[in-house]
Amino acid sequence: MKILRNKAILIAIKNVKDKMRHWQYIFFSLGFPIMFTIMFYFIFGIEETPSGFTYFDFGFSGMIMYAIGLGTMNAAISFAGERNSGMLTRLDTMPTGRKNIFLGALISESLFLMFQIVIMFLMGYVILGLYFKGLLELFFGFLVAMLFGISSVGLGIIIASMSKNVQVANAFSLVVFMILIFLSGSLVPFESPIVYFTPPYWAKQIYLQLTIFGDGLNNNLYSSTFIGSSAKLIPIPIWGGLLIVLGYTTVFIFLGVIIFQKKTKF
Amino acid sequence: MSSDDNSVIIEIKNLKKHFKEVNAVDGISLNIRKGELFSILGPNGAGKTTLTRMLTTILTPTSGDATIKGFSILKNKDDIVRIIGVCPQDITIYDILRAEENVEFVASMHGMSKKDAREKTKKILGEFGIAGRKDWSKHFSGGMQRRLNLAMALVFEPEILFLDEPTAGLDPQARRLVWDFIGDLKRKDTTIILMTHDMVEAELLSDRIAIIDQGKIIAQGTPTELKEMYGSDNVLEISFFEQEHLELVKEKIAKISFITHWKEIDKDGNKSLLISFYGGLKNLISIIQQGFTGSIDNVEDLKFRQNSLEDVFLNLTGRRLRD
Ligand SMILES: Nc1ncnc2c1ncn2[C@@H]1O[C@H](COP(=O)(O)OP(=O)(O)OP(=O)(O)O)[C@@H](O)[C@H]1O
Ligand SMILES: [Mg+2]
Repeated sequence: MKILRNKAILIAIKNVKDKMRHWQYIFFSLGFPIMFTIMFYFIFGIEETPSGFTYFDFGFSGMIMYAIGLGTMNAAISFAGERNSGMLTRLDTMPTGRKNIFLGALISESLFLMFQIVIMFLMGYVILGLYFKGLLELFFGFLVAMLFGISSVGLGIIIASMSKNVQVANAFSLVVFMILIFLSGSLVPFESPIVYFTPPYWAKQIYLQLTIFGDGLNNNLYSSTFIGSSAKLIPIPIWGGLLIVLGYTTVFIFLGVIIFQKKTKF
Repeated sequence: MSSDDNSVIIEIKNLKKHFKEVNAVDGISLNIRKGELFSILGPNGAGKTTLTRMLTTILTPTSGDATIKGFSILKNKDDIVRIIGVCPQDITIYDILRAEENVEFVASMHGMSKKDAREKTKKILGEFGIAGRKDWSKHFSGGMQRRLNLAMALVFEPEILFLDEPTAGLDPQARRLVWDFIGDLKRKDTTIILMTHDMVEAELLSDRIAIIDQGKIIAQGTPTELKEMYGSDNVLEISFFEQEHLELVKEKIAKISFITHWKEIDKDGNKSLLISFYGGLKNLISIIQQGFTGSIDNVEDLKFRQNSLEDVFLNLTGRRLRD
């Protein structure tokens, strides 16, 4: 099991152990998506739209991105916490490598995010009976959500490594996350070119069209969440959107490794 | 020990760290030889931790450089962290992990195989008397956490070891345990740099000592050499109710032949006299007879003891190590 002796993996395993032993953390990271799904179920309502789907069928995609965005904050907070404990400095006196610390955190936080997405899927699709096209489409939707999730976690860790302490990381990530999610139209769908500048818009829209319509890579994306008869198509196909999400993810990971390489000043 | 350059493993060249308020390390130069235990002895705030942090690559010096096995602390950080073990002054452990998880984690960061890491961890925790604990280390007592903190620096058997006050806050028994352990490491040819403000510890363990104060080395040598700086076996420390008696005594003792050195100590206006002499109790009595005639009733406090590193520091700076 050579891969299990990889330092990034070892750090991720240590991080997961750490999280599993904080029962409040487990409680909130599991309880939160459940609570969240139920809340939005009532907010969006199960009224049918003219297209035959309920508002919630559509809205669920944005919710998933919203929940993932919160993962940004989680990642930022727990990472800033580790940094403050002095352990990061101690790790710097060992042949650990900053890159491995960053990747380790990325892996463990992404795993937890995956866990949350799975729970939201169970709540949404199994218990509340939301519509989805097929299992395969749902699986691809899951992958898109994860890809966005990893980029969010990367962003969260970047925020943490630029913040002085846990409180700053918390506030900083909350602001970034709220702005991104709101401007993307994930929470409250709206028509504006501004949405195209936010990563969550792309992830949400691809997820939505994949899981509800079973759109393929060459279908064009719509401008916003509620896809009725008046919905507008944009000139970018799903594969283009995927490239954008992938681009964001790559950039955030790359930036994260670089920013984090520069050791925090003392 | 010979002083040929081949055996020098750490070379510190005019190292400085200036913070806004203080010059924490203010031009330290030192050569530390392979396999020796070198202590840096100094009071609170002398700059021991700042020096350690620079040598262990986590703090950038204001100026100067140091090499460890030829690697520069400025340019070859990655090479240095592979060969050093560091026990930080502040306890730095994952408090939600168990003792063995903490130690094994460090071992794995140094690239040890799972099997090796497990065996070494078991061994060292056994020696430190915390092998039996299976709960999270946040529930450990302060002394146990400190031992764990140290075990984490030792598990991969580093060639060069930095210990920043490893026994602070340990009870006498645990201290003895750690001292014995350090003694064993010395026999295994580990180079050890020990930061301490404890002169007993420094005297007991060190091959050589540098005494530092306010970021500067003020004396260095073997424990014996240092104690011979003022040339005597015994020390008499005396203070009077009235200052003029101190002046009188000073005049008289200047004529006594077995007094090798004396120094006036002034602590917040309370003056006392530190007299170094040889000849033990017999000569102590002569000093009192010859030097204190007429002043004996005015003696506020009198301490007679073996000359120690504390007295060396007192002679050098007029202050105690633990003021
Ligand atoms: N990051 C920092 N910023 C500003 N001043 C600092 C910093 N770190 C240390 N100092 C100052 O540098 C001086 C030396 O501190 P240092 O911790 O090196 O002393 P020390 O010898 O380890 O003391 P102790 O025995 O108390 O551990 C102190 O005056 C301290 O306040
Ligand atoms: Mg210190």
